[in-house]
Amino acid sequence: MGERLLLIEDDPQLGAQISGCLERAGFEPTWWTVGRPLPPSEASTYRLVILDLMLPGTYGLDILRELREGSSDVPVLVLSARNDTADKVRALKLGADDYMTKPFWPEELVERVRARLRRPMLQRQSLVEAGSLQVDLDSREVRVLGKPVELTRVEFDLLAALARRRGASVTRQWLAEHVLDPEREGTERTLDVHVSRLRRKLGPGKHIETVWGIGYRLGEGEDP
Amino acid sequence: MKLRMRLALTTVAVAIPVALCMGWIHLVIETRAVETALSEYALAYMTTEARKQCETAPETWSPEGSRARRPPRGPPPPERFDRPNGPPSGDGRGPPPRPREPRGNTRLFAYGPDLVARHPQAPPLEPSLASAMRQGLDVAGRALGWGGPNDARDVLVRMPWNSGPCAFVLVRMSGRPGPGPSWYSPIPPEFWLLPTVMSLVGVLFALGPVVRRLRQLTGEVKVFVRSTYQGPITVHGDDEISELALAFDEAGRAIHAQIDLKEKREQTLRSFLQNTTHDVMIPLTVLQGHLAEMQRRAAQGEPVEGEVIAAASQEAHYMAALLHNLGAAARLEAGEPGMQRARVDLNALVGRCIGRHRPIARQQGVQLEHAVPEPPVFVLGDDTLIEQAVSNVIYNAVRYNARGGHVAVVLEHEPGSTFRLRVLDDGPGIPEHELPHILERHVRGDAARTRGPGGHGLGLAIASRVTVLHGWSLKLGRSEYGGLQVDFVGEESAPGQKDA
Repeated sequence: MGERLLLIEDDPQLGAQISGCLERAGFEPTWWTVGRPLPPSEASTYRLVILDLMLPGTYGLDILRELREGSSDVPVLVLSARNDTADKVRALKLGADDYMTKPFWPEELVERVRARLRRPMLQRQSLVEAGSLQVDLDSREVRVLGKPVELTRVEFDLLAALARRRGASVTRQWLAEHVLDPEREGTERTLDVHVSRLRRKLGPGKHIETVWGIGYRLGEGEDP
Repeated sequence: MKLRMRLALTTVAVAIPVALCMGWIHLVIETRAVETALSEYALAYMTTEARKQCETAPETWSPEGSRARRPPRGPPPPERFDRPNGPPSGDGRGPPPRPREPRGNTRLFAYGPDLVARHPQAPPLEPSLASAMRQGLDVAGRALGWGGPNDARDVLVRMPWNSGPCAFVLVRMSGRPGPGPSWYSPIPPEFWLLPTVMSLVGVLFALGPVVRRLRQLTGEVKVFVRSTYQGPITVHGDDEISELALAFDEAGRAIHAQIDLKEKREQTLRSFLQNTTHDVMIPLTVLQGHLAEMQRRAAQGEPVEGEVIAAASQEAHYMAALLHNLGAAARLEAGEPGMQRARVDLNALVGRCIGRHRPIARQQGVQLEHAVPEPPVFVLGDDTLIEQAVSNVIYNAVRYNARGGHVAVVLEHEPGSTFRLRVLDDGPGIPEHELPHILERHVRGDAARTRGPGGHGLGLAIASRVTVLHGWSLKLGRSEYGGLQVDFVGEESAPGQKDA
């Protein structure tokens, strides 16, 4: 059972494509081919609304305005064929959460929808899980497959820095500056040494990914 | 109304009142002279003998003077009074000569000190004359007709003895018999007609060359306009007309310059449109080719190769980027006014750019990674233009990279509340000697639109213009991995800063 999404798009081909693509991505889309007011009671049954701005008869922004005036806070992703800043600024001011300019790849749309749905859950947690890895930021405990792993202070700080932004790349420079002791050897080369030790201690799960040109990232890892 | 007519009417309108005014002054002087002459006449007439006659029979004393009784001395010269040189004898030699021709008859009436006449035919005195005498004046006059010097008038004269039934004598001049036409004017025509006609002629005569020069100028300006403001205006001289000609000449040159500029812009726009059409048609044709190839293979039951689909996708992606760039170029041409200034979340912007190009990078086998800082970077600027600039650099890095290549986009806070956005790749890069010049290309330059490898053109030119517009710097160099590294460096927006 996927998340219920509302798609308001007048073009039959594009609407069918988006709708199909969202279904394949595991969502449960409802597709309106005409724009009409969306009462908050109905809006609350959807997790997200994808709204085309150029609709016949209605202007997409009017639907958005009425929706926000009815104090509904369902996330709205605006689609526009016009790459016009004023339009975007207006949409964002009216309470749109994100916008996409046509043309876009279906993959891109799905990514954006997922990112939008994930956002409210991105709360600060003391326990970060990545595959078989568990990092407790408060008690400074690290477990792999439930087994505790002993880490030095620097190693833990390094892992914690990555764990706090799980899935995002962090530059080596930032890590070197914020994790390593500046009075001792705070170079990026030292950092690489610490990373390789950390990787050895965490086992073959490949939780810490090297990101080309950037630095490191804490990923889901692979099953050993 | 033509200039000549207007000036003639103006001249007449100005000349006539002036002439009339002068005529009026002349009239007043003449009238005073006539009254003086009449009073002198009366005084001269009232010699001892005439006084005696009057005082003895005041009821019948009323002598008349006329042309017939004038002494045969020949006509007096015109325009002058014939003044009596002494008291006339009054005996048959007749009354002293009267003022000039034509002149009406005179008749004398006597009045007592109480200003009452004994003669039954004597006219009652006008109150104005009577009051003048009571105030002690010696002479008072009053016109009976129009008021001209030749008109009928009464002149009341105080006699030196000041008593008896002839203390005052009224001289009544009956005026000209009126042989003249009905338009008779008290002011002689030489006082108004002559000056008016002369000034009119003078004005019309002086106006001749002016009108001729104006007509010449008009003709030249017409020719000038017909020839779309080319060629000179040749009216010379050092008066207002030549100044006008000069002003026309200057205006014409200004208009001509404007027209030139406009034509140049139109020309640029036309060629831009042609080039754009050409630019879009090429990927469209390639895309059609790919689609046709896929269709052919599908019809023959052959498997469609992933590479063909990837190539088709790339063409579609390229077209989208191109159209976005053309839109951006159009807005950049408009300059500052086309730009919005709002707070832009660069973290989110980089995320969108990555999202846009990741599908095509994946198809092309290029790894596209990015890193953004916490807290996010905010800048003040135009969201669409910045996104297009960053997107262009990322897309170039992906497009010109080989399968298995890498592109990394890194956004960082730098000291002094600035940010740095790096796009680095391990692609072929740009030859060292070309780096300094690559940003100098104009957005519309042909070189900027080159499509082949190394043609980093339009996209990079737009990126360059956008950074300049935002007061940022754009630096191109070699990345540590051998490819190209593009750095955007600029000022971050302060947290409290709102949309401008």
